Amino acid sequence: MRALIVDDSRAMRRIVGRILTERGFETAEAADGQEAIAVLESMDDLPAVACIDWNMPVMDGLELVTAIRARPEWRDITLMMVTTESEQDRIVRALAAGAHEYLIKPFTPDALVEKLDLLGLVPTPGGVA
Amino acid sequence: MTITTGPDTDLVQAALEQVWESMLYAVAEPVPSTAGALANGLEATITVSGAWNGELRLFCDAGAASQMAATMLGAPADEEMPELDVHDAVGEILNVVGGSVKGALEGESRLGLPQVRPATSLPDPADCVAVSWRGAPVYVQIVSLPA
Repeated sequence: MRALIVDDSRAMRRIVGRILTERGFETAEAADGQEAIAVLESMDDLPAVACIDWNMPVMDGLELVTAIRARPEWRDITLMMVTTESEQDRIVRALAAGAHEYLIKPFTPDALVEKLDLLGLVPTPGGVA
Repeated sequence: MTITTGPDTDLVQAALEQVWESMLYAVAEPVPSTAGALANGLEATITVSGAWNGELRLFCDAGAASQMAATMLGAPADEEMPELDVHDAVGEILNVVGGSVKGALEGESRLGLPQVRPATSLPDPADCVAVSWRGAPVYVQIVSLPA
């Protein structure tokens, strides 16, 4: 099972990537929304989940969620915002745009794993799903 | 906790404690703020605009910054980290602190993107929160700016 991590901070991509890899995901990365679209367009095997930061240069996370949701071929990708934006109206906006889950930074590894479990994103050991 | 005026030191201290625990796997012990020179330091800045307009500025020495980056990136503590990674990590620490602070302010606010640059002096201790990273102080200054 694949995951795409979209965050302008390499350190944060590494933190999220470490948790997802330990969970059994294969990960890909992008530093902003525009790069994420390019990564998705280059993939034969789409990710099951994309973890998306909100505040990024070039194209922010909300714009990316909207762009992904506008592409029918990407409708099966689960979208999780992973962001410092903690206000209720931001969460509502992200969910209205098409995000499935919302995780506020800072978070513990357990909190991310709980969200993945909640979404039913459990990689099969040694398998590709 | 929602506050109507600008952030105070208690709010910043609480945000630092959360970040230290979840991103640096450490306890953010308060340390006394002192003014003075920073021989080889870094300053990260992030703006908050909206109900409160201002900046949060993080100061630390380069060694502490490198160790924080190593921890975040899962590298050995004594590994010398590339400057790009150090700046990125320190910026992300302040970004998450800024997000926590912004979220506690009443009304709509917007968080900018963090900027990181070399620093040679410490800010006024009166406006600062200081916590320890493996014995080295890390300062966060609250700066109110005109709207």
